[in-house]
Amino acid sequence: MRSLRTTGTIAATALVLATLLPGAPSDLMVAPGITGRPGGTLVFSQRNEPKTLNPVLAGDNASREVIHRITADLIHINRATQQTEPALAKSWRASADGLHYVVDLRRGVSFSDGHPFDADDVVFSFQAYLDEKTHSPQRDLLVLAGKPMCVRKLGQYKVAFDLPSRYAVAERLFDGFAILPRHILERPYREGKLAQAWGLRSPPAEVVGLGPFRFKQYVPGQRIVLERNPYYWKEDESGMRLPYLAEVDFVFAGTEDMQVMRFQSGESDILSRTSARNYVALEKDHERRGYALTDAGPGLEYSFLFFNLNDPPPGSLPEVAGRQSFLRRASLRRAVSLAIDRDAIVRLVYLGHAAPLPGPVPLGNKAWVNAKLPQPVRSVAHAREILAADGFTWSPRGALLDAGGKRVEFSIVTSSGNAERVQMATLIQDDLKSLGMDVHVVPLEFRSLLDRVLQTHDYDACLLTLAAGDADPNADMNVWLSSGGNHLWHPAQKAPATPWEAEIDRLMRRQMVTPKYAERKRLFDRVQDILMENLPLVPLVSPDILVGARNGLGNFRPALLDHYTLWNIEELYWRSAAGTRR
Amino acid sequence: MSRRARIRGALAFLCLLYGAALLAGLIAPYPYAEQHREFPFAPPTRLHFAHLQPFVYAWAPDQAGGYREDASRAYPAGHLSGVFFPLGTDAFGRDIFSRLLYGGRVSLFSGLLAAFLSLALGLLFGVVAGFFGGWPDRLLMRAGELVMALPWLYLLLAVRASLPLHIGTIQAFLLVVAIIGGMGWVRPARLIRGVALSGRERAFVQAARGFGAGPGYLIRRHVLPLTAGVLVTQATILIPQYILAEVTLSFLGLGVGEPVPSWGNMLAEARQYHALVSHPWLLAPGLALIPVLLAFLVLADALLESPEP
Amino acid sequence: MKFLARRLLHGLALLTAVSFFSFLLAQMAPGDFYSELRNDPRVSPETIAGLRAQAGMERPLLARYGAWVRSSLRGDLGYSLAYQSPVAPLVWERMRSTLLLTGTATFLAWLIAVPLGIWSAAHRGTWRDGFSRMVLAILLTAPDLLLALAMLILAAQTGWFPVGGEASRGTPPLYDLAWHMALPVAVLVLGLAPALARHVRASLLEVMDSPFALSARAQGIPRRRLLYRHLLPAALNPLISLFGFSVGTLLSASLLVEVVMGWPGLGPLFLEAIMARDFAVVLAVVMLSAVFLLVGNLLADLLLYRFDPRIRTVDQ
Repeated sequence: MRSLRTTGTIAATALVLATLLPGAPSDLMVAPGITGRPGGTLVFSQRNEPKTLNPVLAGDNASREVIHRITADLIHINRATQQTEPALAKSWRASADGLHYVVDLRRGVSFSDGHPFDADDVVFSFQAYLDEKTHSPQRDLLVLAGKPMCVRKLGQYKVAFDLPSRYAVAERLFDGFAILPRHILERPYREGKLAQAWGLRSPPAEVVGLGPFRFKQYVPGQRIVLERNPYYWKEDESGMRLPYLAEVDFVFAGTEDMQVMRFQSGESDILSRTSARNYVALEKDHERRGYALTDAGPGLEYSFLFFNLNDPPPGSLPEVAGRQSFLRRASLRRAVSLAIDRDAIVRLVYLGHAAPLPGPVPLGNKAWVNAKLPQPVRSVAHAREILAADGFTWSPRGALLDAGGKRVEFSIVTSSGNAERVQMATLIQDDLKSLGMDVHVVPLEFRSLLDRVLQTHDYDACLLTLAAGDADPNADMNVWLSSGGNHLWHPAQKAPATPWEAEIDRLMRRQMVTPKYAERKRLFDRVQDILMENLPLVPLVSPDILVGARNGLGNFRPALLDHYTLWNIEELYWRSAAGTRR
Repeated sequence: MSRRARIRGALAFLCLLYGAALLAGLIAPYPYAEQHREFPFAPPTRLHFAHLQPFVYAWAPDQAGGYREDASRAYPAGHLSGVFFPLGTDAFGRDIFSRLLYGGRVSLFSGLLAAFLSLALGLLFGVVAGFFGGWPDRLLMRAGELVMALPWLYLLLAVRASLPLHIGTIQAFLLVVAIIGGMGWVRPARLIRGVALSGRERAFVQAARGFGAGPGYLIRRHVLPLTAGVLVTQATILIPQYILAEVTLSFLGLGVGEPVPSWGNMLAEARQYHALVSHPWLLAPGLALIPVLLAFLVLADALLESPEP
Repeated sequence: MKFLARRLLHGLALLTAVSFFSFLLAQMAPGDFYSELRNDPRVSPETIAGLRAQAGMERPLLARYGAWVRSSLRGDLGYSLAYQSPVAPLVWERMRSTLLLTGTATFLAWLIAVPLGIWSAAHRGTWRDGFSRMVLAILLTAPDLLLALAMLILAAQTGWFPVGGEASRGTPPLYDLAWHMALPVAVLVLGLAPALARHVRASLLEVMDSPFALSARAQGIPRRRLLYRHLLPAALNPLISLFGFSVGTLLSASLLVEVVMGWPGLGPLFLEAIMARDFAVVLAVVMLSAVFLLVGNLLADLLLYRFDPRIRTVDQ
């Protein structure tokens, strides 16, 4: 009797002591100002099907949409504030020279199968991302100045990152790098089979992550079902564990029209990023159907027209070279920019849900837009003056001729799959007629288009929409650097072809290593000025982020950064029981 | 209705349509590329009558994003001034009725020319296969099966992507014709082959051969006339098929480019959800297709029927 | 049986030709699977080169073709770059969905078209016949695409039918499947049945006007027996070819409808794979379609051989 009781007391005391020992209490993250009620299912329709659940190799948006709900990263960029915040990393310190970051991990956190999380998982994850044999597309984010980062374990909950060169916003790099479970994926990795892991048909028990939800079921061609992760490491202020929702259903709609129809009929709960025309068509019905549409303002996407400024080897592409005689004239590009009716684009293509762009940085990027750039003004008369001053003349029938007497005639290629871009090109075609330019609109299938622009350089002008990967300009280095592969108008230059491109190179490289934001902003403002002086690309408009959600969905706060509607999925909840589903 | 009457009626209707398309330059109220940017997606203008004189009101935008008639601005129906849109306007305020007429030129004639190409190829291959038999026959029939089994989408993408960007409207039009027509020779070839085969076996042909007539003469004098019936009926079946094929190609961006209209690229604009729900007049080309195809159908039926005794 | 053997051999030859030409055509389309990655400024050319080398894209055409043939013969239809998984199971389950749809639609279409065609031929010349022919003609000429869209709008606005998908949750399986299939099948049937009915009618009429039919009528054989015992079997020839054609296009007939109406079959998979240049998937689907075409033709030929004595005298 007595021995049993003693054993019991000892056991109880040991248990109590164990929970008080350092390292054992969990550092749950508290989400401020959030309340909600648990339960319910959220149905989200995707345009395309996800292809894989493997974070290391996922390349398409649909897969990433699902993956980021079941995994978590170390340092996360809060989509609302656009600033970094702690995630799996509780805190971090940078060394004085900016080359070493020491990260303290959250303790007491477990993966979705209950297995504890510690520094070994972090080291393993980054090892996988950095391994050249894995060919992860994300690897290049961790490569600075040609050399990869190094990761070192300093303790059970402490990791160090060694950067090969200074990088002003290194902490922003970590967003999106999902931490992988070593206890599941190390074996496939060592056997060289990491690429095949976590396909859609994998058993749910194998797909283990640190995100608010975990993988439950995949029905081919139709849906992916996620269920609540009971081990998620965030809670709200009242101590309730997040996420509130019990289940999330990703259903595959196939086309944008189907997405819209499903949302309207009540079969899905959130409409993420729809086109302006569908938005307006949906607005008419919203009270009857019980949903609310939101225009979140201009996002990080921007459309522009750029010209082929490549140097084709003599003899190849003679027609393109012939047309470059006038396309290379900055005066022509400036005239084009002056003649384009951006207000008509906003009104007719986006039905008012867009804003004209004064510069090459989207308006949603408030921290980095050069506010001093003048608003674009349309003036065909001024455009004609500029052209006349540079030796252009007009034939008796009004056709524009360059200084050599050649007719100004060129084509704009654009992606056939995107109605808005083709419409913009059609409007521009009509606008440029007033200058006497003869413009052909050539919609091409997207991959053929990329092939022409980036590989064969067989085009005159192209109308594209780019979505900046992050608010910070460093994400687009390869676009602005003349040596960059995405320097659209003249990619992969061995040496800068023009003095202004050389200047841009210099400025961009400096801002990459400058630590203070004010100084970086000054440098990047100068880059924007130079771009607008020389106009290799003519900025057009920046579309708004248009989303919708069913009434009764609480904590729905659309953001301007991807993922616009699900970035705070752990905070979403259904206000009344009527909103929850079976 | 008697067979002859039906044939005449259908032919007359088709000639009327094709004629209207050809004369689009004269009939259409506006040039096909003229944009009226103040009136995107305007509904069809309503015709009013005062003392037997037709007139119209201008459109003015209303609160709900649509249009209402502006009674303060009335125009006689003949006076254009950018207000008379019998079938409404599209996204850029371009008159749909005018574009329908101009677009008919592309769609109706691409069907016609493509059918001509298919029938020409079908005639050539069918006669060779049927009349000569042996290995030319087998070769052509196997080639036909291959043509029907291949994934043409890839070919179309490849062809379009490798072309120079600057193909003019006429060339684009001819390309569409060539692609559609060049792929469709198999069925007519099979039918013509049958005719040529049976023609070859006929008694008088064999007799002529016995007299030393060469293949060229035999084909010209005896086989070709037999194919006339097949050719005509196949034409009435193929032309509408090819008109529809042009519509499909335009969806894929492989038809004529902006701003030149064709019924295909006009329908491509219309097939989006918001267009169907809010601006149904964009479907005019689809509705215009139906009587055209019906007329061909009636013609084909009537021709296939055996003539009354 | 020599006939059968020859046809099989010729079928294999055709399959080989189809595979080779498809390979060739796929190479001609510019861009490859990783083109889109090239557009991402955060991915370096070295990574892309590494991915391409891993997928074997740098090897010469014939080497790649040879490798593909060898692996296909073993049943390994290749590896999907997009799904990072073997192609065979991927295509197999989509094929089931498509066959479910087209099988049902074809069956229903024939079920409707044959009696309708017979009735129409039997009542030729009456106003009822004329009216039904008008309706059929209009249905025939309405483009498939518009029909599909009209159905979708109907579903979205009324809520009587689900908008796309093959199954929902929480409803009993068979009823649920039928509910989801209703609209796509309706569109397909509306597209197939009118043409079939017209063909049935046309071939019956041809036979009805032939000398032997007229003489049979003159001999006083009752109409119904005439129709079913004598005319219908004679009219079978073109119908059998049509049947073969129906079987042959079981996989491809529903591509447009599946894409527009959101049915998870081969159609959307194929289209997406073409746009993404996912080689292996495209080839697998093309080969499967070619196999179905061949089977359909073979079936038609066999049935003709069995049922139409006239064919047996003409053995090419």
